Amino acid sequence: MSLRDRLGRLTGEGTQPGRSDPPGELISELRRRIEEVVNRRPVPGPQAHSGRDRTGIPLERLVTGEEVRTPRGGLFFSRSVLAGSHRHGVFRVGDLGHIDMRSAALLAGSDEIAAFEPGHALFLDTETTGLAGGTGTFPFLIGLGWFEGDSFVTTQLFARDFSEEIPMLCLLDELARDRRFLVTFNGRAFDLNLLSARFVLNRMEDTLSNMPHLDLLHPGRRLLRHRMDNARLTTIEACVLGLTRDDDVPGYEIPRRYFDWLRSRDGSLMEDVFRHNRLDIVSMAALLKHLADLVAGGPGRESAHPGDVLCAARLHEERGDTQTALSMYERIAGSPDSRVAISALRACSLIYKKASRWEDAVLIWEGMISRDPLDLFAAEELAKFCEHRRGEFKRAALIVKTVLEGSRTLSPEERSSLEHRLNRLARKSSAP
Amino acid sequence: MATLSLKEWLQRLESDRRFRENATSVTHIPASEGSYAPYPVWVHKGLKAVLEKRGIRRLYSHQARAVELVRQGRDVVLVTPTASGKTLCYNLPVLQRILEEPETRALYLFPTKALANDQMHEVHGLIGELKADIRTFTYDGDTPDDARQAIRKQGHVVVTNPDMLHTGILPHHTKWQKLFANLRYVVVDELHIYRGVFGSHLTNVFRRLKRVCRFYGADPVFVCCSATVANPREHAQNLLEKEVVLVDESGAPRAEKTFVLFNPPIVNRELGIRQSALTPARKIAGDLIGNHIQTIVFTTSRLNVEVLTRYLKDTFRAKIPGRDHYVAGYRGGYLPNLRRDIEKGLRERSVMGVVSTNALELGIDIGDLEACIMAGYPGTIASTWQQAGRAGRRAGHSLAILIARSNPMDQFIVEHPDYFFSRSPEHCRVNPDNLLILLHHIKSAAFELPFEEGERFGKEDLMELLTYLEDKGVLHRVDQRWHWAAESYPADEVSLRTVNPENVVVVDTTETGNHRVIAEVDWDSAFTTVHDDAIYMVESQQYHVDRLDLERKKAYVKKVDVDYYTDAMTYTNVRVIDGFAVRKRGSVIIEHGEVQVSRKVVGYKKIKFYTSENVGYGDVNLPQKDMHTTSYWFTVPWDLLDFLELRREELIDGLAGLAYCLHHIAAMLVMADIRDLDRCIGDKSGEWFVRYGADRRLITATPGQPMNVMENAFDPTVFVFDAYPGGIGFSDLLYERHDELVSAAQSLISSCPCEHGCPMCVGPALEVGPSAKASALAILGLLEAP
Repeated sequence: MSLRDRLGRLTGEGTQPGRSDPPGELISELRRRIEEVVNRRPVPGPQAHSGRDRTGIPLERLVTGEEVRTPRGGLFFSRSVLAGSHRHGVFRVGDLGHIDMRSAALLAGSDEIAAFEPGHALFLDTETTGLAGGTGTFPFLIGLGWFEGDSFVTTQLFARDFSEEIPMLCLLDELARDRRFLVTFNGRAFDLNLLSARFVLNRMEDTLSNMPHLDLLHPGRRLLRHRMDNARLTTIEACVLGLTRDDDVPGYEIPRRYFDWLRSRDGSLMEDVFRHNRLDIVSMAALLKHLADLVAGGPGRESAHPGDVLCAARLHEERGDTQTALSMYERIAGSPDSRVAISALRACSLIYKKASRWEDAVLIWEGMISRDPLDLFAAEELAKFCEHRRGEFKRAALIVKTVLEGSRTLSPEERSSLEHRLNRLARKSSAP
Repeated sequence: MATLSLKEWLQRLESDRRFRENATSVTHIPASEGSYAPYPVWVHKGLKAVLEKRGIRRLYSHQARAVELVRQGRDVVLVTPTASGKTLCYNLPVLQRILEEPETRALYLFPTKALANDQMHEVHGLIGELKADIRTFTYDGDTPDDARQAIRKQGHVVVTNPDMLHTGILPHHTKWQKLFANLRYVVVDELHIYRGVFGSHLTNVFRRLKRVCRFYGADPVFVCCSATVANPREHAQNLLEKEVVLVDESGAPRAEKTFVLFNPPIVNRELGIRQSALTPARKIAGDLIGNHIQTIVFTTSRLNVEVLTRYLKDTFRAKIPGRDHYVAGYRGGYLPNLRRDIEKGLRERSVMGVVSTNALELGIDIGDLEACIMAGYPGTIASTWQQAGRAGRRAGHSLAILIARSNPMDQFIVEHPDYFFSRSPEHCRVNPDNLLILLHHIKSAAFELPFEEGERFGKEDLMELLTYLEDKGVLHRVDQRWHWAAESYPADEVSLRTVNPENVVVVDTTETGNHRVIAEVDWDSAFTTVHDDAIYMVESQQYHVDRLDLERKKAYVKKVDVDYYTDAMTYTNVRVIDGFAVRKRGSVIIEHGEVQVSRKVVGYKKIKFYTSENVGYGDVNLPQKDMHTTSYWFTVPWDLLDFLELRREELIDGLAGLAYCLHHIAAMLVMADIRDLDRCIGDKSGEWFVRYGADRRLITATPGQPMNVMENAFDPTVFVFDAYPGGIGFSDLLYERHDELVSAAQSLISSCPCEHGCPMCVGPALEVGPSAKASALAILGLLEAP
């Protein structure tokens, strides 16, 4: 008996020895059950794009591009150029390349990048056969982008089959050698990891992993997440870049499209995937521009979202640039968004305090208390100031007492800390 | 209150008349001298100094032989007793090689995370004293993400488990390039654990490991350790699929141990009922713990852990108030924190008694206990010695007591001390070419590296299987290579240890708004342990199952305090699909082949604590589970049975009793867990089956319809089958050993002191019917007649 029959029977399908094969309509049921055993997962229903029965439209007719040869074989290569006057959301393509590289370096958390020019950037995004990761996930489409003068160039390397992987990686390697650093969105955890595995699997040198790398996911999340439901690229596009995609192919559909392509060679399956990938690349350039401007505090500062500026200021402060941070905090301290304003005021006051600019700090704390006498932060800071720097124990006690008696939101720890302070103040003020 | 030392306690015990009546054997294993050899000359001075500082001034003879063989690049399997210094046999050559060639990498595999952690600490200690830059890490599900990269690149010795190798390491082998390219040693401890399903999977994981190593140009040496089994070398060779040298003459000295085989007294001779093994276990454990003798009790099921823990907690709650963990339960399904607390309590002797399943059998560090009580035979002689070894690993005199339960396997062991002490008759079997198992691993292997034309993987026709997977759309073929072409991550789709990797989470809903997860139950056990209205127990707290939601894989429970527990009832039927071999003995037909098994949980019994009375029944409505597997069976034609002049019901009872006996003996012979095999009587069509109802046995044609169809149209058949889809390879072995099975059953049943059948021979008379024993013996007469 063939292995196939034995496998079929292991599923518990009701065939018996000596009986003829199941009738035609049962075969699909049998296959489904084998599939279940084999996959231990429900089989997806028929796909909207099952290319099997279609007449395939050649890819070349739908996507600008052609076969190119490398010493290790051919692959499909597409290149397109966006002119400076082209608009991507609220941005003009010609403006995207004007990036302050110190800001880019700050976003990347890597000083190396400050020495480069925007034209050295290689934007990279891959489309893959799945999100699972590991050696069995195949990046079949590699999208690249870079600035050339006023224009933005995107190129796409497509492996029409697994056999075109090596030529695709060779060409990637060659193109990457012309650039100095990488820009991705979640490339650190995903795209680069995957490409690295492919280089190893094909016994090739992995040049990409050694390039400096600006992954926009982390700074993007850090600066923008506060006003978005998630930090996906499409969400950021809609919220920040002013771009909505029509008829975009959903990411989860892409692997299935490629598997169907492998069988049918129908170019219409891949057309949307190429567009999706190209939009991702251009959006990364726009996002880099947006984030770099935000942290630079340069032109367009009036229109910047105060919450974003707050996040940017914190980033500067964390990286030790107190001066830039302070000027950003000061800028938004009068913001109509009271949550942002209070955070900025607190941050300013702490920077003043650290620099012993006591008058400036006290001014802020007193302002905060006059607006809200129960403000715990301002009360504690002002009480500390009065107690330790002025010896005004009675005033300090009054401030603390007001909060203790009035506030309904204190945690037990906060309450006991205030009580402790109040007792000490009471002792000090009664002492001779 | 004055307490007795273990020695005094033993003296008192041995002068106790009632104890002597029930102890079938009291064996004093004397301390013995070791046999030694000097360190090989090539051992690094620093390494030798560190070992000498730990008191190892010379090697045991088996250690010297093993390290020399490993040094020469031979694959080795080491079979020596607990505490004979097995770890040194691999740590020494591995560390030596790393000192000489710092690029060297080694992979250590342990069956559990806990063992891996323990081993890591030991190697760590050695390296710490060695003051060499050698890095050892455990890599498992608990390893933090940020530590993983460093481990992949820098770990000289990576300690992990087969499951992690399967799902976490091999499918990401490019990240482990450094390890695989320099992999010189693979250490596989507790080799005998890898038998049956687990072993069949592991063989395939090793096929994948060797395939990935070949890709990076490595060819590691395997060093395996195993407990005593009948075929260690053969088993190692089956797992590794290469030649292996056996080292089995221990040079280690032995500490003194008293080993007692204990058969509980018969309380009802007519029904052949012995006292439950839990009763003497409770008494003896209570007495030992009361004398401050730290004791571990092994039971054979999770349920028994809970029952016995509750009994012992009851005993000590009054005596030692406020120490809730003076006695603790310990089993799989407890959450990790609780387990760590108990392990620590044992080491610090704040926990003086622990009741466990075999979860503590392996080398998890719980310190040196003094006494070990096994309430029930653990299923294999190998496991028995391992469990007994938990007492007195390094300490002086220790005690081990094996208390038999009322089943044929236990009875056979305690009544045949010679069999137990003199031989290791148990064979480890694997069937790595079980099609389902093989296919899963071919998928995982294709995910790891594309398959190439002409490659081999397992003993089946690989090209045909690849083409099959290609047709399924899982693989894509281009230029004579098969590439993984699916979104999924195939290693996640199969668990190495159970049939179904799914778990059911047990949720305590006692407090509204504060639902807590209290345990996890594997998919198959869920049907029998957390069905609607079951009583589920954790740390001897009872929970009533309000609802089992199979779709969401959750069981919702509430705390209750009732005086009973529940035991599920299932029915099974078998249909023959294909016979592989057949022979006749007289007119009895003996066969093995492929079958379809259908099983359904139909109800449960409520059983009262302490008295074990049956206090009620309930229905359970869960889906039927079908399984295709391999079986051994024999058919006794009606015209032959007619000679016996027994009523049909009596014949059915006799066959059921015989099947019960054969199932247990079969499991003992092939070293299967009793649950790895199952039994059924029916005919070969699967059209009738026997249903065990609340009152008596019915022969029914369709599930749920209790009608008696005693037609002459079928011939009664006894099936003993592999309880895993596709089979594990026990069936052909049983087919070959049919005569041995029949004569063992004959001797066990005919020498059993009961009158009408009991759990020790054909099953409890109340369950199998009053005529089962006589009928079974009569049928055996037919089987033995030429």
